[in-house]
Amino acid sequence: MLSLFPPNDYALIAVILGMPLLGAIVNGIWGKRLGNAAVRFMALAAVGVSFAASVVAFVALAAHVRQAEDASMDAHVKLSWTAWEWMHTAGGQGTGTVPIEIKFSIDQLSGVMMLVVTGVGFLIHLYATSYMEKDKGFARFFAYLNLFIFAMLVLILGDNLPLLFVGWEGVGLCSYLLIGFWYENMANAAAGKKAFIANRVGDFGLLCAMFLLVNYTGALDWSGMANGAHNLLHPNMTGPLSRVQLWPLGSGNVYPPGPLHFLNPKTPLTISAATAVSLALLLACTGKSAQIPLYVWLPDAMAGPTPVSALIHAATMVTAGVYLVCRMSFVFVLSPFAMMLVAIVGAATALLAATIAVVQNDIKKVLAYSTVSQLGFMFLGVGVGAFTAGFFHVFTHAFFKACLFLGAGSVIHAMHARVHADDEAQDIRNMGGLRKWLRLTHWTFAAATAAIIGLPLTSGFFSKDEILYRAFVDNPVNPEDGKGFLRKFGTFHIPPVVGPILYGVAVAAAVLTAFYMCRLYFLTFWGEFRGWTVGRPSLLAKQELAGTKHERDHALDAPHDTELEDADETHEHHEEDLSQPGYPPHESPWQMTVPLIVLAAFAVLAGWLNPGFHLPWQAMDHWLHPVFAPVSSAIQVRHANDHEWAERMEWPLALGGIGAFAVGTAVAWWMYIAKRGEPAKAIAQAQPALYQLVLDKWRVDELYDATAIAAVDSLAETSAAFDKSIVDGIIARLTSLVVAASGTILRAFQNGVVHVYAATMVVGLAATGWFFAVPHANATVVDAGNDDYVVTAAPGVGYAYRWDANSDGKPEKADFGADSTLKLHLEPGKSQTVRLEVKNAFGFVGKKSIFVAHPPAQTSSL
Amino acid sequence: MIPVEHYVTLSSLLFIIGGVGFLVRRNVLVTLMSIEVMLNAVNLALVAFNRARPWHAIGQTYAGGSHTGQVFAFFIIAAEAAEVAVGLAIVLALYRLRRTVRSDEADLLKN
Repeated sequence: MLSLFPPNDYALIAVILGMPLLGAIVNGIWGKRLGNAAVRFMALAAVGVSFAASVVAFVALAAHVRQAEDASMDAHVKLSWTAWEWMHTAGGQGTGTVPIEIKFSIDQLSGVMMLVVTGVGFLIHLYATSYMEKDKGFARFFAYLNLFIFAMLVLILGDNLPLLFVGWEGVGLCSYLLIGFWYENMANAAAGKKAFIANRVGDFGLLCAMFLLVNYTGALDWSGMANGAHNLLHPNMTGPLSRVQLWPLGSGNVYPPGPLHFLNPKTPLTISAATAVSLALLLACTGKSAQIPLYVWLPDAMAGPTPVSALIHAATMVTAGVYLVCRMSFVFVLSPFAMMLVAIVGAATALLAATIAVVQNDIKKVLAYSTVSQLGFMFLGVGVGAFTAGFFHVFTHAFFKACLFLGAGSVIHAMHARVHADDEAQDIRNMGGLRKWLRLTHWTFAAATAAIIGLPLTSGFFSKDEILYRAFVDNPVNPEDGKGFLRKFGTFHIPPVVGPILYGVAVAAAVLTAFYMCRLYFLTFWGEFRGWTVGRPSLLAKQELAGTKHERDHALDAPHDTELEDADETHEHHEEDLSQPGYPPHESPWQMTVPLIVLAAFAVLAGWLNPGFHLPWQAMDHWLHPVFAPVSSAIQVRHANDHEWAERMEWPLALGGIGAFAVGTAVAWWMYIAKRGEPAKAIAQAQPALYQLVLDKWRVDELYDATAIAAVDSLAETSAAFDKSIVDGIIARLTSLVVAASGTILRAFQNGVVHVYAATMVVGLAATGWFFAVPHANATVVDAGNDDYVVTAAPGVGYAYRWDANSDGKPEKADFGADSTLKLHLEPGKSQTVRLEVKNAFGFVGKKSIFVAHPPAQTSSL
Repeated sequence: MIPVEHYVTLSSLLFIIGGVGFLVRRNVLVTLMSIEVMLNAVNLALVAFNRARPWHAIGQTYAGGSHTGQVFAFFIIAAEAAEVAVGLAIVLALYRLRRTVRSDEADLLKN
């Protein structure tokens, strides 16, 4: 196996990538004709084969890693496959040609990511075959979903930044298509558009980063950029371009002396190219991974079908930003300032999104904000230099969040048995007590909830705890500090107060996480079912009349008939007696519960791959170590890199995570189980303004509407007004006026009399004949340098030439000849008139005088 | 042998008669006949020149002479026949439409 696919030509990657693409093409083009069974088979086979090939590739990679370790070589092994050279470009600073190849590679980092994408992707495909069964866009859905897997694999496996960008855009496109999958609803289409546009803002950053990187490092593939990364700090050229100037824009004094002159600083504001690249990449990641300030699209993205939310907007695509930071870690560590900013963005996002999630009532919205918050944790992790911890959280989060979303999908599926409006079926206020009917869903949801809230020994506990710990102790420093250029410019040192603040914010976010997830879990699965009255106004009225408590018990008793539970297979459009409670919620089919069970098992157990706490087995840490070994020197711990202090701090700091779990869970238990939600209502009533503000997501959308979007809108309106008044009103009208006027004039000539046309034709023929019968003397003068001028006569059929260079009336040669050029020598300041005579085949002669002047030499330049 | 100049003179006269007829006569049938006269003037010039200088084919000189001009005249006659067929069809169509064969009354497309 190892010899069949050598590491530098690992063609199995073509299968991994090709199968989902094939599935997308087949389902996209012929899906409607093939029927749902074939579409299902194609989609599952595509991702399944891709997953199987990924496993094979991963095993091969592990074997190569083992070989390299045994030989004590660099264990950062890459299985790569070059399809073709896409294009090449010129690198900056004399670095020559930069080839950009269609090249894919699997190393330790992309290998894990690839397994997660294809593995979780397969489970979610399986789930979706049942969830989307009745949808009329079944084939279209799976075409998009397969295309997404393909694009995501391109993103992960691409060996250079442009290729990653192709995948980056591809997943963005699929995300857009799938958010707006039910495009008949305007809100869904708008949500898709919002996601697309927010991502475009981020893509601008990625493009800028690529331009800077190819200019400074002279490469765009991972290893080439890593090798050239030091040029970002010590450019091998001098002058103002060695650093990126932020202000004034461009270079030099932009604002001349005058009222605006104060905008010119005494010294231009510059940043190192490493910081510029890192900030541009951070912008890209905030877009794709839904961080402040571009996170607003992700909650709206829940308009898509639930499997999409699980796959794209929780498990895979949104973690692409974290992957990119890990991938470009060699650039980020060169800029401690950018690292700090990444960590701050992450921590702030984690807290902000967690506060919003606390009050949301839509089950998917809560999970969406939870995703934003967990992505914030990941960014906090990679921002403090704990790349492995951050990536490990990507890994565990993929399982428990996918499980939560699929569980939510199962719940929504169950609720649709009773409630047909989407909004009401997703509202946790209409749920409650669902564990009676959805046993499997309940247990898997509980397992995933335990993981996300950090129940000790589950996966989320280990990954989150490592991030919290590293946020406190880590201190990224610039590995090039004091060398080369940095001796002159100095470098940024992260203030020691940042670590504890990040830790505090993250613990607060963890408390809120535990609270809102338990709130969601308790409200959905515990207590009594509150959905009996939804859509049944008569029942509600009866219930209100008879007093709440008694009637609710009655309503609960009624559906305990087992016949009803089983007879609900076709619950779409049964005519119901709206005064009766109707069908109870029901468990989902096996295609939906099997993925839940698998994901729940991983959610609970995956943490043992990297438990932290300095335990002897750290599989993930060991596995990823070669990837992050080059940057490890940049990640020190605080207290003057005192590793013993850091080790001593591990257990005390873990108390923060455990405490967050305990406090959040206990408060949620007290509020929603012990007191049946009364305290929550009381708080909301006591602080109506604050509650409304948080319920409206801190009105960030409204802020963006009022600022950035309003600015673009007004620009659009101005353009539209300009278009209407100037372009349409004046330019277009003027054009049409000219055309109409000339038409009126020309129409007079079209009198319809054949003889006039014939006469015109005869006149035209005569004129053409005359033109060809008379020779045309014409010439061009060319400065040949050295004070020489060449006069060239225009050619024509049968022409012969005679020159008179000094215009004395006596031509140089008496006979006409074929020589159509005349050379002249003219000193500066002199001029001469040349006479040219041209004779054509009829013997007619044409004459022309040509004036040739040599301007005087310029002695001084102004 | 009649010198070629006579033929050419006759040909020019015929061509001018045909051209003037084409320009001044309003009857479409006469206009067609004028075109025939012009074409035959050209035919006459072609065969006359070929008869007078048979060894000057286009671009080449043949020892035994060539008949390019004569043959070309036949081609022109063939083209004439086609032209007349189309032309008469147009005349018929015009007559059905406007009940006239005067070309200055066939001005539906004017302006």
